[in-house]
Amino acid sequence: MLEIIREYGLMLLVGEYPHGKLGGLALTLIISIVSLAVTFPCAVLIALARTGPLRTPKAIASGFVHSVRAVPLLMLIFWAYFALPIVIGFPIDATYTLILAIVVYQAAYLGEIIAAGIEGLPKGQSEAAKALGLGYVPTTFRVILPQAIFNVIPGIVNQLTTIIKESSLGSIIAVSELSYVMLQVNSNEVTKPLQIFGILAATYFILCFALSQATNWLERRIANRRTGRVVVEAVA
Amino acid sequence: MIEFQGVSKWYGTLKVLKDISATVDKGTTIVLCGPSGSGKSTLVRTVNRLEPIQEGTITVAGADIYAKSVNVNTLRMGIGFVFQQFNLFPHLTVIDNVMLPLRRLHHQSRKEALPTALLMLERVGLADKAHALPADISGGQSQRVAIARSLILNPEVLILDEPTSALDPEMVSEVLKLLRQLSGEGMTMMCVTHEMGFAREVADRIWFLKNGELTFDAKPLVFFSPEAHPDVRGFLSAIQKNH
Ligand SMILES: Nc1ncnc2c1ncn2[C@@H]1O[C@H](COP(=O)(O)OP(=O)(O)O)[C@@H](O)[C@H]1O
Ligand SMILES: [Mg+2]
Repeated sequence: MLEIIREYGLMLLVGEYPHGKLGGLALTLIISIVSLAVTFPCAVLIALARTGPLRTPKAIASGFVHSVRAVPLLMLIFWAYFALPIVIGFPIDATYTLILAIVVYQAAYLGEIIAAGIEGLPKGQSEAAKALGLGYVPTTFRVILPQAIFNVIPGIVNQLTTIIKESSLGSIIAVSELSYVMLQVNSNEVTKPLQIFGILAATYFILCFALSQATNWLERRIANRRTGRVVVEAVA
Repeated sequence: MIEFQGVSKWYGTLKVLKDISATVDKGTTIVLCGPSGSGKSTLVRTVNRLEPIQEGTITVAGADIYAKSVNVNTLRMGIGFVFQQFNLFPHLTVIDNVMLPLRRLHHQSRKEALPTALLMLERVGLADKAHALPADISGGQSQRVAIARSLILNPEVLILDEPTSALDPEMVSEVLKLLRQLSGEGMTMMCVTHEMGFAREVADRIWFLKNGELTFDAKPLVFFSPEAHPDVRGFLSAIQKNH
């Protein structure tokens, strides 16, 4: 095991870099963080549509959420990888394809988490804002969202864990993230799958376990800080 | 200042306000009381359109609050509203709570809004708590901040729905003292409360509601006298037993 780490450790961390494209754990992290960062504003919009007063956006968001939740992520990746280039007429880099699929998929789940955060606030908060004369936009952006998002930070961090695991599906379309790199290592060293995939498992475990510990810690901090909070169960 | 004319409201098939007609004169303080579920909250919440009505008209400062020319947010800016549960914004400091209307409705910068907000906090005796978070001050202090926030745009009317019901007994008096002071300064107020000492001393008129009806509307002297409506007398003796 040690000699595999000695030989392939750098590859596990950064892929072919600096001689080729960045890959490995670094790419997994970049894909995950970028995906979450792009998902976040989309999820906020979905949550606002879901909880807001307008019927059409509500119906569209609800249709989107229910559709996405009814299909596997892998199918979205196939769509983005095989079908989308035909529709738009030019090819897209596989890494972007993967990010796009994760964003669409996670927007539905993260949107529901943020919507739960909005609905979990005491009704008095929006009533007090209304009673002051604040309209929908200042009420939403100054009163509701800051609290709702703060309260669901643990849920958001938890989705990052999910995204990290989901990004391993990129190996199917040859995105050279962590799993793909280890697959390649395995084809070089055909006799050591136990060690190679053991290292792969340990890497994911350390990363995701640390994040879930961070989630627990955040949950306690947030619970201590305020009343009227909401505890959102992990989904996806 | 506020006039209810034949106001009725239903929740589904349940009629919770029944043909209410009454007037709140400018500069007077009205205390509303009555058994739980009698419609006190619903009635005061109709004034700033937090609750819509199905029949009748309500005018504030001469204008029908449902007139096409009335913008609901402008209406609400002119009516301070204080809730039983304070409803301070927990993510904002005390001063930011008080400044929020100035900043978002009068579009003032932080620097412009600060002196006005500090002055208002001084009025409610909480200038030293300006930078505390709502979680770090007492219930009585929270309610005084909520009152400061509701007054920051200089509304013509202040409405309070059981402002002391969520408070520990030792904090009730600091809030009532502030309300007494505001009433003395000529604020037009509608206050739902079961603090009968306060009602006797501060109210110009006391309204008694029962089952959605305004069954008695009288000066305190009459309200607390043996000539009061039998329902009122029953209510008063029930309250006394609880205290
Ligand atoms: N949102 C609501 N939906 C249905 N019924 C309600 C609602 N709010 C209040 N009610 C009913 O309206 C009546 C009056 O309530 P409320 O105005 O809160 O009374 P009070 O403030 O005097 O205790 C009660 O019978 C109550 O159950
Ligand atoms: Mg009530």
